[in-house]
Amino acid sequence: MNAIQIQEVTKMFGGVAAVNDLSLSIPEGSIYGFIGPNGSGKTTTMRMIVGILRPDRGSIAVPGEKTNGVPIGRIGYLPEERGLYRKMRLRTLLEFHGELRGGLDVSGEVTEWLQRLGLAEWADKPVEALSKGMSQKAQFIAAVLCRPPIVILDEPFSGLDPVAAETLREAILELRRRGTTVVLSTHDMPTAEAMCDFIFMIFRGRKVLDGSLAEIQEMYGSDIIRLSTANGSVGGGHDFSGLPGVEQVRDLGQVQELRLARGSDPQLVLRELVSRTQLTSFALAKPSLHDIFLRIAGPASAGAPEVTNETPAS
Amino acid sequence: MRRLPHKILLIAKRDYLAAIQTKAFLIGLVIAPILFGGGVMTSVIAKRRPDIRPRRIAVLDHTGVAAGPVIASIQRLNQMELHDPKTGHQVMPEYSFETIASDPGDPNAQRLELSQRVRNGELFGFLEIGPGALHPTPAMRADPAAGLTWYSSEGGVGEVRQWLAAPVNDALRRIRLAELGVDKSRFNEVLANIGLQGMDLVSRDARTGQFRTGKRDYIGGTAVPVAMALLLTMIVIMTSAPMLPAIAQDKMQRVHEMLLASATPSELIRGKVLAAIWQALTTAAVYLVGAPLALKALDMSDLMPVHLLPWLIVYLIAEVTILSAMAAALGAACGSPQDAQSLNFVLIAPVIVPLIMLSQVIQQPGGSLATGLSLFPLFTPIVMLIRQASPGGVPAWQPWVGLAGVVLVTTAITWLAARVFRIGILMQGKAPRVSELVRWAVRG
Repeated sequence: MNAIQIQEVTKMFGGVAAVNDLSLSIPEGSIYGFIGPNGSGKTTTMRMIVGILRPDRGSIAVPGEKTNGVPIGRIGYLPEERGLYRKMRLRTLLEFHGELRGGLDVSGEVTEWLQRLGLAEWADKPVEALSKGMSQKAQFIAAVLCRPPIVILDEPFSGLDPVAAETLREAILELRRRGTTVVLSTHDMPTAEAMCDFIFMIFRGRKVLDGSLAEIQEMYGSDIIRLSTANGSVGGGHDFSGLPGVEQVRDLGQVQELRLARGSDPQLVLRELVSRTQLTSFALAKPSLHDIFLRIAGPASAGAPEVTNETPAS
Repeated sequence: MRRLPHKILLIAKRDYLAAIQTKAFLIGLVIAPILFGGGVMTSVIAKRRPDIRPRRIAVLDHTGVAAGPVIASIQRLNQMELHDPKTGHQVMPEYSFETIASDPGDPNAQRLELSQRVRNGELFGFLEIGPGALHPTPAMRADPAAGLTWYSSEGGVGEVRQWLAAPVNDALRRIRLAELGVDKSRFNEVLANIGLQGMDLVSRDARTGQFRTGKRDYIGGTAVPVAMALLLTMIVIMTSAPMLPAIAQDKMQRVHEMLLASATPSELIRGKVLAAIWQALTTAAVYLVGAPLALKALDMSDLMPVHLLPWLIVYLIAEVTILSAMAAALGAACGSPQDAQSLNFVLIAPVIVPLIMLSQVIQQPGGSLATGLSLFPLFTPIVMLIRQASPGGVPAWQPWVGLAGVVLVTTAITWLAARVFRIGILMQGKAPRVSELVRWAVRG
C-alpha cells in the first residue's frame, strides 16, 4: 500500500520546469529519502505533497482518500526554512501547532516530546530564547504532534550538532517503527544510506534515481576499488591516475578509491597495483550514494542511467 | 478531522492574544485618542479656560470722528459679555483702548511703529479706521486701508477680528444715521439685529400624529458625524495598519510555511481577519465605555448618538475585514520591511480618502458627491456613517444597499487576498510586480 502516489507531476516557475513529469510511489511506513543538488526540485516536490503548491500538471494523492491531493492534517511538515512565532512560549506554540492539526488535547504529547528531545526545561521560555538547534528540535516536535500518518522533513539534520542530529535520527526511526511514513530530504549521503528504505534523486527537475540503495547500486555495478597501502596516504607516494583500466582516482587520506572504467578487469588492475606498491587492503565495492550523486550531478557528471517512472518501490 | 471553523478560531485566538498583549496595543489605546481627538479636546478645554488677561488695543482713526464712538461701542459689548451670566465667572478679557491721531505724512511708518508695539506685547492689536469707513464706496474694495483694517498677531481664524466687526460697524452706522438726521432715540430700532434661527425639518409622529421640530444644533450636527468618523477611522487604522508589517515580518521569519501544512491559506487569512475584528471590537468597547463618561464630564451627554452605535459596530467590522484581508495579501507580497512601510499607505487609503472629503460630506450630506461616495463599498463604512449622523440622516434604504455592497466587496477581497497570500507568503527576496499580484489573484 502506498502512502502517497505522485503521478506525472509538473510544476513550472516562470517558464522553467522546477519539477518535470515526476511519478513516485511512496510506500506506507517507509522512510523515503529525497536527494539532489540545491535547486533541483526537492522542496518544490515536498511543498506539492503537503499541498502548499499545486502542480501545473499531474496529480498527487493518498490512495483510499476521496479528495484530490493529500488531505490537510494528515501530514506533518518540517520546512527547510525554519520559522516559528518568536514571542510565543515554547509549550504554547507547540500546543497551538498540535491543535491546528486537529488534536483535542495535545499537552501530554507535547510534554512527552519535550522530554524526549531534551527541551523540557525550555517549555515556558519564549521561542526567541532557544538556540538554533533547539528551535529546530521544537519545529520537529511541531511537525510530528498528533501522530500524522505522513511526515515530510525537509533537511531535518542541517545545522544540527552530532548529538542533536543523533537524537533526531532516533526520533525519526521511532516514527517509522510506529508505522509513520517519513519523507526526508538530506545532503548527507551516509545518513540517507543508513536511514532510508528508498532513495529518490531529482536533478534539474527530473527523477534520476528511485529505489532502494541496493537497487540503485546494482544499476552501477561493483566498479569501485577501495585500497590502502603500507606507506599510508596518497597511495604510498604513488600516483594511480593513468593506471590502465582506472577511470578516476579519489584520495580519501588513509584510503584510496579507484573507479574502474566500463568493462575493465579488476584482476588486471590488482596485478598492476601490486607491482607498484605494497597493499594492506584491497576490496571491490559498489559505489556509495555519494559517488553516485557526484557521477550524476558533479562537475564532470556523465548524467544518470535511464530511470523510468515505473519505480522499484511501487 | 475537526470542523473547519475550529482552525480559524485557533488562528484568530493566537493572533488576537499576540496583538493585544503587546505594549504597542496598550499605548495605542491611550495615544490614539489624544492624537485624533486632541484638537477637539484642546478647543473644548480652551473654551472652558479662556485667556482673560487684559488686552490693549490702539485705534488709528483717519476720519477724526469715529474713534470715540467705536471704542464706546466695543467697550459696551465687552462689558455685556465679560462675565458668564450663570456663573458670574469672567469669560473674556477686558479691553482697554488708546486713540492714535492719524499722521497724514507717512501712514506706513505709523503702522510700523504700532506693529512694533504689538510685537513688544504693549498692544494686542490696532484697529485702523480708514478715511472711507464712514462713507464706503465700491471703489474701496481695491484699497482695504480706506475702510477698516485690523493688525494683530492672533492666529487661527482671527476670533477677535470677528468679534470686533459687529460693535465697530454698529458705531459707524450710528454716525451715518446721525448725519442723515435720524432721531437718535430710534437708532436701536433701526439697527436691531435679529438672529436667523436654524430649525430641524418638520416631521410627524406616525403614532401620535404630533408634529415634531426643534432648534437645529449646528455644533452637535457637525461634531457628532466628525467624532463618529474619527472614532471609526482611528480604530480601523489602529487595528489594520499594524497587520501589514506584522505579516511581512512573519513572512521574513518564515513562520507561515509550517502552518500551511495544517491549515489552508483561506483558513489562515480568515483567522487573521477574525483576530483583527476581535481586536477592533476590544478597542471599540474601551472607547464606547469611555465616551459617555467623557461626554458627561464635558456636559455634552445629549450628543451621544446611541441609535447609531449598532451601525458603527457593523461598519467597523466591515472596514476592518476589508483592510485586514488586504493587509494579509499585501503583507504576503512584501519582499522587505521597507515594502511593508510603503504599502501601508495603500492599505489605509480607504479610510483616509473619506476623511479628506469630510468637509464636503458634512456640508452636503444629501448631495450627489456624498451619496455616491457612501455607496462606493470601500468608502461606505465611513461616509455612510457620517451621513447617518448628520442632521436629516439618509433615506432608510441607503445604509442597507451600502452594506450589501460592502459584504460583496468584503467577500471578494477576502477570497482574492487568500489567493495572493498563498503564493506570496512563500516568495522571498523580491516584491512582486503589480501584474504578478493580479495574476496570482486571478489564477490562484
